Amino acid sequence: MNAMTRILVVTLLLFSLSLVAIADEGADFRRVALTLSEDGRILLDAEIVYDLNETIAEALENGVPLTFEIHVQMRRAEAWIWESDVVEHRLRTVLRFRPLSGLYELRNLTGEDQLSFATRAAALRALGRIVGMPVIARNELDLDQEYLVQVDVRLDIEALPLPMRPMAYLDGDWSLASEPWEWRLRP
Amino acid sequence: MKRWRIDALAAAMLVVLLLASLHMISAAVQRPEELGQWFIPLLLFTVVGLVLLFVLVGWNLGQLLRDYRRRVAGSRLSARLSVLFLVLALLPVSVVYFYSIRFLSSGIDSWFDLQIDSAMEDALSLSKLSLDLHKLERLKLSENLLDAVEDSSQTAVALSIDGLRETAGASEMSLFNLQGKVLAVSHANPELLTPTPPDGGMVQQVVGGENYVGVANGPDGRLLVRCLVLDKAERGLVLQALYPIPQSLSELSANVQEAYEAYRTRAYMRGQIKFSFALSLSLVLLLGLFAAAWAAVFTARRLVQPISAIAEGTRAVAEGDYSKQLPHPKVEDELGLLVSSFNAMTRRIARAHNALQDNRRKLQTQHRYLETVLRGLSTGVMALDAQGRIQTANRAADQILGVELDGLQGEPMSALADVSESLQPFVERIDEGFASGVREGRVEITLYRGGGRQVLLCRHSPLETEADAPPGHVLVFDDVTELLKAQRDAAWGEVARRLAHEIKNPLTPIQLSAERLRRKYLKKMPPDDGDVLDRATHTIVQQVEAMKAMVNDFSAYAKPTKLKPKSLEVDAFLAEVAALYEGGTQQLTLVLDVPGMVVEADPIRLRQVLHNLIKNGLEAAGRDGHIIIGSTGGEEEGRDYVEIAVNDDGPGFDPDLIGQVFEPYVTDKTKGTGLGLAIVKRIVVEHGGIIRAENRPDGGGRVVLRLPAIGHTHTGEPPSVQGGRA
Repeated sequence: MNAMTRILVVTLLLFSLSLVAIADEGADFRRVALTLSEDGRILLDAEIVYDLNETIAEALENGVPLTFEIHVQMRRAEAWIWESDVVEHRLRTVLRFRPLSGLYELRNLTGEDQLSFATRAAALRALGRIVGMPVIARNELDLDQEYLVQVDVRLDIEALPLPMRPMAYLDGDWSLASEPWEWRLRP
Repeated sequence: MKRWRIDALAAAMLVVLLLASLHMISAAVQRPEELGQWFIPLLLFTVVGLVLLFVLVGWNLGQLLRDYRRRVAGSRLSARLSVLFLVLALLPVSVVYFYSIRFLSSGIDSWFDLQIDSAMEDALSLSKLSLDLHKLERLKLSENLLDAVEDSSQTAVALSIDGLRETAGASEMSLFNLQGKVLAVSHANPELLTPTPPDGGMVQQVVGGENYVGVANGPDGRLLVRCLVLDKAERGLVLQALYPIPQSLSELSANVQEAYEAYRTRAYMRGQIKFSFALSLSLVLLLGLFAAAWAAVFTARRLVQPISAIAEGTRAVAEGDYSKQLPHPKVEDELGLLVSSFNAMTRRIARAHNALQDNRRKLQTQHRYLETVLRGLSTGVMALDAQGRIQTANRAADQILGVELDGLQGEPMSALADVSESLQPFVERIDEGFASGVREGRVEITLYRGGGRQVLLCRHSPLETEADAPPGHVLVFDDVTELLKAQRDAAWGEVARRLAHEIKNPLTPIQLSAERLRRKYLKKMPPDDGDVLDRATHTIVQQVEAMKAMVNDFSAYAKPTKLKPKSLEVDAFLAEVAALYEGGTQQLTLVLDVPGMVVEADPIRLRQVLHNLIKNGLEAAGRDGHIIIGSTGGEEEGRDYVEIAVNDDGPGFDPDLIGQVFEPYVTDKTKGTGLGLAIVKRIVVEHGGIIRAENRPDGGGRVVLRLPAIGHTHTGEPPSVQGGRA
């Protein structure tokens, strides 16, 4: 996607609370940005660095598919607790190792896109690169309102093979998640 | 609904829910694709449910333990039964659990033995080799194809790409320059227009001089061989060709890969699989265990409940609660029969107890009635046991004896004498009466007390209490002092009246007649006869005078006197009386020891008493006799008294008469009416005093009169001794 086709969203980015991304348990936001496309959609670009610990890497090498989920949530900044979100997206991607080809495979569960990589690092880089993920059309938002946007990623334990789940819940090595990236947006 | 039913229902529902949850967990393990998402929530629910059940069991056990420590009826039996049931349930469950875990562990281990491991590795290697061969073939083909294009320009090569793809039988062929820019694409499927992008690493490898060949997954899931070759003719081209792997090879390789992956994943998850099974089995065990524990405690308590109720009822009956009725169990078994019998028994006991209470109330009413009657009696009543110990006494007995008999309950009669010495004769006479063995007796007892003489008329009779026990005694006594006095007064009044009528009246005519005879015939008679007449009539007149005096004395004794009491200071009064006898031939000495002590007495009467006693003393002492008048004070039974003693040094009283000197007509003198001391006594008694006569150890007689003292003037002089001749 051409960067020139996008206009940097003139938003008030309040990084007061979460200016510094906290490297937490193997997933770290390097860069997060919301942009406005020419057709008036707000898009999410992000770069996430994944660092698999030994336990998770071992499971991956042994053919266990790992499901990563990027969760994007937008709600009114002054919303009551019971008020529903303005928008909520979950992007789920499965990473697995194919022993016959020796390749790491990334499969997008929503789009059914599939990519193969010769190394784990390459696969993780690709996993962490989010380009132009549509969030919401700008005209759907109230221009007088301020919105709270939150992005976080995690490894979905519930998607692990059943016998692994109880141990995964109990074992801290399996809690791979990022600190939520949060900021205020005035469209 | 009863509490235990609610408890039981709640526990049963919890157990059923937990069973359902465990069943769902089992289903989720078997069909993870459908129910896998419920696995963890169900696991959490089961754990929470088990914790609840554990709390329930703990609470029940805690209650049982508390009851056991407090020794609540039935708690011990409940505890024993609970332990027994628990052990019975625990043993088989534990054995099953132990062997299940062992079988499961070895069963799972048996899935992954070395042979299968190696077979799987071999199968994969074989697939790899076969594929590698195919890949090399395709790589060679791709290299040859690019070499065969002779045009020197990139554009010419790009234009021939369709032909090249068709020649090679590739599904996709694309040309890139060395920067990775797409120059041309050819797809077997005309709908596809973009190339399958190669990984950056692959391109770099090829640019570095080493052609790339690998297996990739096609969009339809089929395996593809991807070849990236560098143009040897230095046209700056990279050719990517994707060849479909033959159907049979692709399927076989895919199957091998799938099986290998599945096996490897399972082998990797061996520990987790064991853990999951052990966890499920442990949850089942815990459910079984807790349910058994709860059921054991519950069943034991329910079983023991009627027995506890009976034990509690028995304790209540033992503590005197006869109204206790136990709830009848619904089931008609031996316990039900026991409860019915218990209820019947308590009903009977309650009836008997009520009857007993009624009787006791009646008895108490009678007792109160009797007590009221006895309290109202002026006669003293005392009950003694067979050993002569005081049991009960009425108020009149207290008043008559002047002792609080309530404080002497259970004490022997002699305790009365210890309390009041003046009661010694009473005790002695009563003891004599008991010792004589006479069943019923009557005795008159005279007591000398601070207040004077007291005559009691006592009757004693046996007191039958219980059939076998020796009988006690009942003492009934009256204070007859006043009665006797009244009788005596009445008797002497009668004597005086008769004397007045029968004796005194004829005396005057006799005297007058004698005087008349003397007056009429004395002068007419010869001197000798006249002398006789003179003496005779003189004697008659004299004797009549004497008889008159005697009758007057009697009259004075019998006549009821009216006292005019005044407060008299004893010592001063004695000194005043003694002063009248000064100047006589006989010596009179005063030894006064109660200065300021006051009695209430009629001074005329008391003076009469003292004159009488002094006159008697002087007569007894003779011409050179010595009279000593003394006064002393004392206290008896909390009451002050004054004693006035008149001592003489005469011959003393006749020992035979000493007890009756104060009775009328008792005298050892040749002269006198014999009423002097009787009148003295009467006056003293009328003053509330007593009088006694005794012989002094050093010779002579002594009369002592005791009068109650009413106080002290505090102005009295110190004791003085006066002497004089009477």
